Amino acid sequence: MSRVGLMPEEGGGSYKLLVCLLAGIGIIIAAAPMAIIVIMSFSAAETSSFPPSEFSLRWYETALTLFSSDESSGSQAVGAALSSSLLVGLVVMVLSVAACIPLAYALVRGQRRLRQSMELLFTLPLVFPLVMLGIAFLLIAESLRWELGIWRLIIPHLALVMPFVLRNCMSAMQSISRETEEAAISLGASPLRAGLDIVVPLMKPGILAGLIFAFIISFNEFTITFFMYTIDQSTLPIWMYSRTVSSLDPSTLALSVFIILIDLVMIIAIDKIIAGRSSLF
Amino acid sequence: MSVSAHEGRPRVLPLPRRGIRVNALYRRSAPWLLCLPALLLITPFLAACLYMLRFSVSADTGAIDGFSLQAYVELAQPYFLRSVWLTLKLAATSTMIVLVLAIPLAIMIVTTRSASWRRVLTVVVLLPMILNLLIQSYGWILLLGPAGAINTALTQLGIIERPLILLFNEKGVLLGLVQTSLPLAVFPLMSAMRVVSQEYLEAASGLGASQWRSFADITLPLLKPGLISAGSIVFAFNASAFAVPLLLGGRRVRMLGLAIRDMISPLFNWSGAAAGGMVLILIITLVLVFSTWLVSRSSVRGVS
Repeated sequence: MSRVGLMPEEGGGSYKLLVCLLAGIGIIIAAAPMAIIVIMSFSAAETSSFPPSEFSLRWYETALTLFSSDESSGSQAVGAALSSSLLVGLVVMVLSVAACIPLAYALVRGQRRLRQSMELLFTLPLVFPLVMLGIAFLLIAESLRWELGIWRLIIPHLALVMPFVLRNCMSAMQSISRETEEAAISLGASPLRAGLDIVVPLMKPGILAGLIFAFIISFNEFTITFFMYTIDQSTLPIWMYSRTVSSLDPSTLALSVFIILIDLVMIIAIDKIIAGRSSLF
Repeated sequence: MSVSAHEGRPRVLPLPRRGIRVNALYRRSAPWLLCLPALLLITPFLAACLYMLRFSVSADTGAIDGFSLQAYVELAQPYFLRSVWLTLKLAATSTMIVLVLAIPLAIMIVTTRSASWRRVLTVVVLLPMILNLLIQSYGWILLLGPAGAINTALTQLGIIERPLILLFNEKGVLLGLVQTSLPLAVFPLMSAMRVVSQEYLEAASGLGASQWRSFADITLPLLKPGLISAGSIVFAFNASAFAVPLLLGGRRVRMLGLAIRDMISPLFNWSGAAAGGMVLILIITLVLVFSTWLVSRSSVRGVS
């Protein structure tokens, strides 16, 4: 048992106390909002007073009825918002991963200079202010006057998820040795076949993590969609925003718990797939 | 060169030369073809960046027409400068708080022995960055709002008579910024901690250094490059925050993101918004470049 280290196992005194205290504060700040949403969603009361005097599932029932009725509420119904959220997420995830697999291959196998400049290019969306992107995409969409339909939301989301997808694909690609595909090629496979049959299957963990990352980011995106949405093309976060802009309805909390659960499952899946082989971002 | 002898189907194991030839062929023709799909997908983003740059120097506030720096000149008004100052202040304060919380959190996650506890901690820290900001703002409103958990508890205990205003001011926005950007600092610091080897700390302790002394003299200097780059990312992320001040600031805390949007939504001053956005991008770029310079300087010093 070591008496020294980043976190001493024995003793440690004031150092260990402060580390634990600050880490505890960090965990509380990170988790408190989600924890209270989960608790309040089970409340039986109309008001949002804490702690709830009684618990019930009534808000979950209300949330479920939202999906079946709510056709004539003027704005888009929750079912339509959810389905366009899912559609955008699925298209974004498939397209971004399909584009990033060959890119990751070219960058890892290619020259250093190409790799550095491309990596920089595909990291840009990460540091570019989302408000600016939202406004810019809105301006372009307005001035083009095209009927973009659901692509209004898909195109901006694609730029947003690329940095995450590329990073996952590249870290998977890095672990594949050149010799494996060269063996296939020397045995008579065409470079394309060697790529599809040897490299892509070996990249599977990175591809899976990229797919989930792309979906989860698109599914939770708020800022750009806030500028780009129309009455017909909207997503679940925007639907929730327009519903709760004046007051907070407990049935929205039940809906929020569903979303938290979806996110939780997907993050755990990514964490398991990556399993310490590379950092999350 | 005996390469041609190996054309067709070789019956023996490939010579190294063959592999080199295949790669050379690949390098010459394929890279751009392989990059093409991703480049196509990112083109709208690049177009959007250039479009904003062009719009910010337009002579007309509602359309791209002619060249003028009028939009930038008009930004020099008290309301916009106040926004810039507020943005810098909140981003800097939140970065400091995030770093103070992220070091202990990273230490805790790195030193946790049990894999499942480590996973729980990772997920709890990561979730706030991923999860839709709207939902998190519901949580803060339930917790800190006028009828929220903390105010109710304090009133019932008789400590306060009227609810404290914890949200819809700078404090609420600061809390939201800290929460959503915490993972951006924790994960880079976790990888930075790999360089802090147990031997260094044991050596220091063997020479009589206290736990605090070895933290200040060994751990912190080794973490410095990681701290600088994590801090600059957090700063850039929080300076461009939009959803947090919109949802938790109640429109009273006008950070740059909100100021830019207000130029569009009630005022239709598109070129002004574009110019304001360029100012924001300039601030972020300066911070990132400065931090890169700091990191390279400190690592050069470390070597010499």
